[in-house]
Amino acid sequence: MSSLLFDVKDVTLRFGGVVSLNDVSLHQNRGEILAIIGPNGAGKTSLFNSLTGVYAPQEGTITFTNGQGKTMSIIGKKPFRVSVAGVARTFQASRMFGAMTTFENIKIGAESHRGLGAVGAMLKGPRTRRDEHHSDARTKELLAFVGLTDHANTIAASLNYGARRRLEIARGLATSPEVLLLDEPAAGTNPTEKLELVRLIRKVRDEMGVSILLIEHDMKLVMALAERLYVLNFGSVIAEGSPEEIRANPAVIEAYLGSVDTGVAEGTK
Amino acid sequence: MKELWRNAHVKRIATIALIAAVVTIMTGPEGNGAEPTAGFTGSFASHVTFFGLFTAQRWLVALLMTVVVVVLTWSVRYVNRSWSDRTHFRGQAVQAMTSMIQGSKRRSKFKSTRYVFFAIGLVLAIGLPHVITDNSWQTQIVQQILVYVLLAIGLNVVTGFAGLLDLGFVAFYAIGAYTTAWVTGALPTPPPFHTHLNTFFAIPFAIALAMLCGVLIGLPTLRLRGDYLAIVTLGFGEIIYLFANNLFGITGGATGTNQIPFLSVHLGALKYQWGLNPVPYYYLTVGFVVLFLIIFSSLEHSRVGRAWVAIREDEVAAESLGINPLKYKVMAFAIGAASAGFAGVVTASQTLFVTPPTFTLQFSINILVLVIFGGMGSILGVVLGGLFIQIFVVYLEHSPPSGYNSQDLYMYLGALLVVMMIFRPAGLFPSRRRRREVNQIKAGTAPDALLTNIGPHSRVQEET
Repeated sequence: MSSLLFDVKDVTLRFGGVVSLNDVSLHQNRGEILAIIGPNGAGKTSLFNSLTGVYAPQEGTITFTNGQGKTMSIIGKKPFRVSVAGVARTFQASRMFGAMTTFENIKIGAESHRGLGAVGAMLKGPRTRRDEHHSDARTKELLAFVGLTDHANTIAASLNYGARRRLEIARGLATSPEVLLLDEPAAGTNPTEKLELVRLIRKVRDEMGVSILLIEHDMKLVMALAERLYVLNFGSVIAEGSPEEIRANPAVIEAYLGSVDTGVAEGTK
Repeated sequence: MKELWRNAHVKRIATIALIAAVVTIMTGPEGNGAEPTAGFTGSFASHVTFFGLFTAQRWLVALLMTVVVVVLTWSVRYVNRSWSDRTHFRGQAVQAMTSMIQGSKRRSKFKSTRYVFFAIGLVLAIGLPHVITDNSWQTQIVQQILVYVLLAIGLNVVTGFAGLLDLGFVAFYAIGAYTTAWVTGALPTPPPFHTHLNTFFAIPFAIALAMLCGVLIGLPTLRLRGDYLAIVTLGFGEIIYLFANNLFGITGGATGTNQIPFLSVHLGALKYQWGLNPVPYYYLTVGFVVLFLIIFSSLEHSRVGRAWVAIREDEVAAESLGINPLKYKVMAFAIGAASAGFAGVVTASQTLFVTPPTFTLQFSINILVLVIFGGMGSILGVVLGGLFIQIFVVYLEHSPPSGYNSQDLYMYLGALLVVMMIFRPAGLFPSRRRRREVNQIKAGTAPDALLTNIGPHSRVQEET
């Protein structure tokens, strides 16, 4: 149960003179729901981008171990390679393919890991047909899983925030990942949608066996979901522990004072 | 009065009238020193023919043209709306034909409509040489219409499907034409293998070489995005032109190639020689147009086509799903280049020799105009747009109405394009997706990536 999934060691990421991540070390175990919290500008999204190959940190190592026990280094890998290895993600500002339908959005995820297949696509051979059937079936399954079946033919741009988040999760899951990285999934959603989201994320882990790594501002959501947390501030990890430990940690309370202390207060209740 | 100006229809008519006035002045007679205003007044007062039907004063003809354009844009809008709203209204005739041809009911309505269009087009294309029997017209149809349609559907793969603005597309056309000259021994460079090849083999050679060059040009340039890509491809187009123009010992330089023989095939029992008669060339080209249409259309509706759309709409998101953007972009370049390579063969072997001035930036832009006019990303739109504009061009060149001055051609085409961009920014018959994208940009609900998809491909600049 506690086999390693992500292992981040001494990672430092700089943009010119700005240090975005400073000697960050953390790890995620397989099957875990892990959360990373921290004030604005703490480096949470930078960490996400480093984990998915968008940024290449100058120092340190990031290794990802897949289900077969194969270990790969993420730094220097391109994002699509990281995705193929089994890491899916969503974005802070949701990035769906706005002019496509919900169905098409998910289908792209379902078929993106297969080879080029230009010749097959031109000839429409039996294998291409079978692949299409398979992708369609998988897409329908995922639509049902996230509760968007009724919106299958809706243009993605006209979905509301909650539905967009679910669509992004489904699209990520369509790539059959081992871990799903969620960048502020609750941003812009209302309380009911938040509740649904918590249920959905749990369901993803419990039913699909996909580990979850999330960044979130909403303390209620984090405390309800996460099994373990890391707190980032000014690019450094300042605390690690279970939700209860984090709540009681003086360094965390200090980091949040004056910024989003209400969030911690609510969470403590 | 103010309310009147707010009315969209009034605005539309006024804009077209304004453009018509500008065109009227620009294409009118020139003034002279003695009477400086003569050019201006003459532009409205002198007489001109209206499509050869009757002669009237220029202002009246301009007014009539305005009415024609207004009616045309409205009718196209109406037709398009009905087509896109298929469940609400579908043409009775098409519906009947569809169900006749369809047979099995499992096929989607959309798909069967495509087949109907395709079948009608094919029948018309096969019958055309029996209707238009004039040889010079037939040559024009091959060289000015079919070749342009081939180029337009090729560029549509690059620009329409994959969203890559390519201003150097003419390079692949040039490569196709020069490969034909090379294979048939019309260049100072000896032909490959030093053997006597059937000239017909210029076709696979040219297509393969154009695709290879698509990969070679694509690999370094396609790391760039948007405006940067456009400028670099423009540069590559110019490089190919300069190669053709300056490498005298290889390409024949500015004087062009030696005489290229007609296509011929001698393979066992199969013997055929294309010649001065344009009809065999016509059928050969139509055959390849159909082939490319089938290939491009099945690509569009395949995994590859969807990956292209994903990259076009949001490259970062597409990459996060495991799509390798560079690979698919290079593929779009190579596949688009294939049809341009074949177009080069047709031009070279029918017009019998090739000179560099054919392959200038202007040519790339002309092709891009066809794609934009027809509707980027829509095969049907690009074919119809290409046919429409090129028939118009050939008509003006071949039987110019009195008062038409050939140097005004681009004035008319420009006005047409401006009108199109105002009233149908997504093109004449846009693909459904592209129309959605354009509507989203207009409504301000487009994903940021669609609006800001410019700038060098830099990972670090994203989301900082």
